[in-house]
Amino acid sequence: MADTVFKLNAAGRIALVTIDNGEDYRKPTTLGRSAFESAVGVLEQLENGDWEAAVFTGKPFVFCVGADIDELGNVQDPREGIHAGHELFGRIRALPFPTVAAINGAALGGGLELALHCTARTLANNVRHIGFPEVALSIIPGWGGTQLLPKLIGPEAAAKVIVLNPLRQNKLLKAEEAFELGIVDTLLDPVEFLDESLAFARELALERKPPDWSDVEAVLRKARSRVDDAVHGATRAPYVALDLIAGAQHWTIDEGYAAEEDAMAELLVSPQAQASAYAFTVVERRSKKPPALPDAKPRRVGKVGIVGAGLMATQIAALFVKRLEVPVVLRDIDQSRLDEALQTIRGEVSERKPFLATLVDGGTGWDQFAGCDLVLEAVFEQLDVKREVFAAVREIAPEAILMTNTSSLSVEEMGADVGLHFFNPVALMPLVEVVRHGGTSDEVLSTAWDTVRRLRKRGVIVGDSPGFVVNRVLTRVSRVLMDALENGNTAEETDEAMLALGMPMAPSVLLQMVGPRVALHVLETMHAAYPDRFPLSPALEQIANGEEPAATGDNRRTPEEIRRAVLEAAADEIRHMLDEGVVGDPADVDACLILGAGYPFFLGGITKHLEQTGIADFGKIPA
Amino acid sequence: MREARDVFFVDGVRTPFGKAGPKGQYWRTRADDLGVKAVRELLRRNPQIPVERIGDVAFAATAQVGDQGLTLGRDVALLAGLPESVPGFAVDRMCAGALTAVTAAAGEIALGAVDVAIAGGVEHMGHHAMGEEVEFNPRYLSERLIDESAAVMGNTAENLHDLFPAITKERADAFAVQSQQRATAAWENGVMRETVVPLTVFSDDGWKLAERDEFLRPETTMDALAQLKPAFRPGGRVTAGNSAGLTDGATASFLAAEGTVEELGLQPKLRLVAFAYAGVAPHLMGLGPVPATKRVLEQAGIALEDVDLFELNEPFAVQVLTWCDELGISADDPRLNPYGGAIACGHPLAATGVRLISQLAYGLRERGGRYGLTALCIGMGMGCAILWENVR
Repeated sequence: MADTVFKLNAAGRIALVTIDNGEDYRKPTTLGRSAFESAVGVLEQLENGDWEAAVFTGKPFVFCVGADIDELGNVQDPREGIHAGHELFGRIRALPFPTVAAINGAALGGGLELALHCTARTLANNVRHIGFPEVALSIIPGWGGTQLLPKLIGPEAAAKVIVLNPLRQNKLLKAEEAFELGIVDTLLDPVEFLDESLAFARELALERKPPDWSDVEAVLRKARSRVDDAVHGATRAPYVALDLIAGAQHWTIDEGYAAEEDAMAELLVSPQAQASAYAFTVVERRSKKPPALPDAKPRRVGKVGIVGAGLMATQIAALFVKRLEVPVVLRDIDQSRLDEALQTIRGEVSERKPFLATLVDGGTGWDQFAGCDLVLEAVFEQLDVKREVFAAVREIAPEAILMTNTSSLSVEEMGADVGLHFFNPVALMPLVEVVRHGGTSDEVLSTAWDTVRRLRKRGVIVGDSPGFVVNRVLTRVSRVLMDALENGNTAEETDEAMLALGMPMAPSVLLQMVGPRVALHVLETMHAAYPDRFPLSPALEQIANGEEPAATGDNRRTPEEIRRAVLEAAADEIRHMLDEGVVGDPADVDACLILGAGYPFFLGGITKHLEQTGIADFGKIPA
Repeated sequence: MREARDVFFVDGVRTPFGKAGPKGQYWRTRADDLGVKAVRELLRRNPQIPVERIGDVAFAATAQVGDQGLTLGRDVALLAGLPESVPGFAVDRMCAGALTAVTAAAGEIALGAVDVAIAGGVEHMGHHAMGEEVEFNPRYLSERLIDESAAVMGNTAENLHDLFPAITKERADAFAVQSQQRATAAWENGVMRETVVPLTVFSDDGWKLAERDEFLRPETTMDALAQLKPAFRPGGRVTAGNSAGLTDGATASFLAAEGTVEELGLQPKLRLVAFAYAGVAPHLMGLGPVPATKRVLEQAGIALEDVDLFELNEPFAVQVLTWCDELGISADDPRLNPYGGAIACGHPLAATGVRLISQLAYGLRERGGRYGLTALCIGMGMGCAILWENVR
């Protein structure tokens, strides 16, 4: 990526500084070492010039998205980078004339911190990406963010922006929200944004309410308990950030900077931060263009068939209609179930674009599949049923690519060209496992990948083996927990074992969400393939039957011991998957677990944590 | 015949003009965005006009492709934030684009179709080379319908030197020096402050403030101009110094009907008295303003001596001098282009007309005077002249 440069031009006696990496908006501007060197040069001109004011802004569509993640991972001297930021931004803050950050586009992390060091901020009202993602990466906004934001908008709003939003799938602020929180002083139309920001700088007159610190202890206590709910103490960063926000009430800015430096010196080298940097790379880079993706041109998809009208089929069909905007036809043997599905889909897809409802149709026969380019089945998980389905579809649509949403059966044996395994609820879960087998052509795989992309889902290419990746690992993990229940542990203890890892959801809650019968069915499939590692579970059967699981053994363990057993089992299963070639790299397992099971960044999915704790060594250099 | 309503020029504004090409200030700015800036500044300066009263937006460009290609009047209206109910259209009469936008909108107003209109133009000659995507019909040459020199404006200027040997290169250069000097003085007094709006533009060097015409060369001397090589023909007389360079820029103006002016409490600057377009031989296109001027005066029944101010476009010094000689006006007459012209500020083809009118309005007010004329030559052998009356 091109180096970021601070570019100074005079607009009369106003210094106009552009933060620019010379690329278009698809490569957002970051702050790395070279950016700092260039900024120092500009600062000298600002400090020594006869300026009335300075305005900092970004290249079109981007303000600045903060520290360069690649340089973050390289932490030979964690204090040095933080200190350099404090020194630079501190000099901006100390300029003897008013400074305005004209936030014309995404302002994240260090970019937002730069803006906070200015006297005032203008914001284009179409900006949708304002925030501090640091805590989601198990670090803190340490270039003054934890200090200046609470000093500006108070502890409650600061805790929301710095700590709680990052833990909610890294939620960012839209312009209106940033303005309401008091982060910026004015919202401006984008059309003449910089011209009006210059005028704002010329006539700078601020009316700000001092922040409310009266309830600081209660506010932070509440925030801390929400952090507990999210990460269960498994990563330090959100807690440290709350302490720094509390400190901002009384500290001078220099005391605050010093506290940030201490905090970052600890956090940057922490296993959680290292794992997060790894997870970020896996999710944002590797899995967007995986090495396994063939070069072949994807086939044009002009009509889609969905076999089945159950819960998954309905959700998947709605997604296809909404994203591809092509005719989608369904088939179910049960007319009333079909009617219900059609009604649900039409209702959902027509919310924004009424014409989409007219694209959906269905029937109990097969004729409607004529002319389909792609047919996906989501019927009952039984191999013969699926075989019959594909035989019938081949007859009526011989050219169609046949896809299956099976969660554990063999894609090849049922006669599908490729698997597209969606996760429930389809609208919320980003992952789709793209399952290829020996007979999957490059064109088919390319089309499947491209379809997933157009559905705005995240694909990971996996091999055709029982349970693929997510269900295989989760079932293996779940088997360990069932074993604990069978040995007299309580569900509270197994929940504690998992939650202390920082899992977003207790396993007992997850089991109810997935449905114990479904989980049992998957376990049976896995058992058939790997009886040694996936023994059948009386406890799971009892739960599936609506009974209390009964203890049959007496090897009761502590939550810590259970957790260790879980991790060892996961490591063992991942090793088997790598040996079998289900995935080419541990990173693919991590991508699946992060995107499909909500595993936290700070575990690096799971393999980074397994390596950090010495439980496993996959012998691969992380991507 | 039903009675036509009087049409008033309420206000006009332009962007600073830039040099076309990668080194020019607008290289990374879209043409329609320049138009949007001019329109929004116009709205800002005339808050008494409710935007929903704008009945039409006539916007001109010569190259109606790319960032000038989306039916500019509508494109600029939507991008400038005008209500969806305000329509717009695109105009092309090459260099007379903006003047044609003005007369077309004036026609709508005179007939009572609309009460208020925006008329303007833009040309980003850096993004659109002259003649871009134009295919000349081969019949022009095979049937000798036009002389082939008609296709290159510089050659038509050389043709004028040929036709009028009395107009020497020295006279052309002297006129160019005068244009630069008058424009330089104009940047010192209020005319540019009143008619030019600065704007920030993105460039390879970051955001910059565009606030000046990039062609302005206050230091221009006869000696320096004498050194310049002819640009179009060996031994020719037309140089980069005595002609307007390739330019990027936009203009916009408000026109309103009599009655509406009173209703909204507007203070218009000019009343449109009459306008005329004329055709001449395409390879002598610079002659166009001569018949157009004669025709508009005749139409209005006004003698040349009664006109107090002339704003003529200056694509080439020889073109202005031809008009001067034909009408008997001295080239250094203080009534002619008192603030300099396109030689000093540039000529973004379809945008220029509104610049002439805005400066004419300023000039008539500053210097006093009743009638003023804006005139302009047009490629393929045409001319335009509009006669205005000062109402301030």
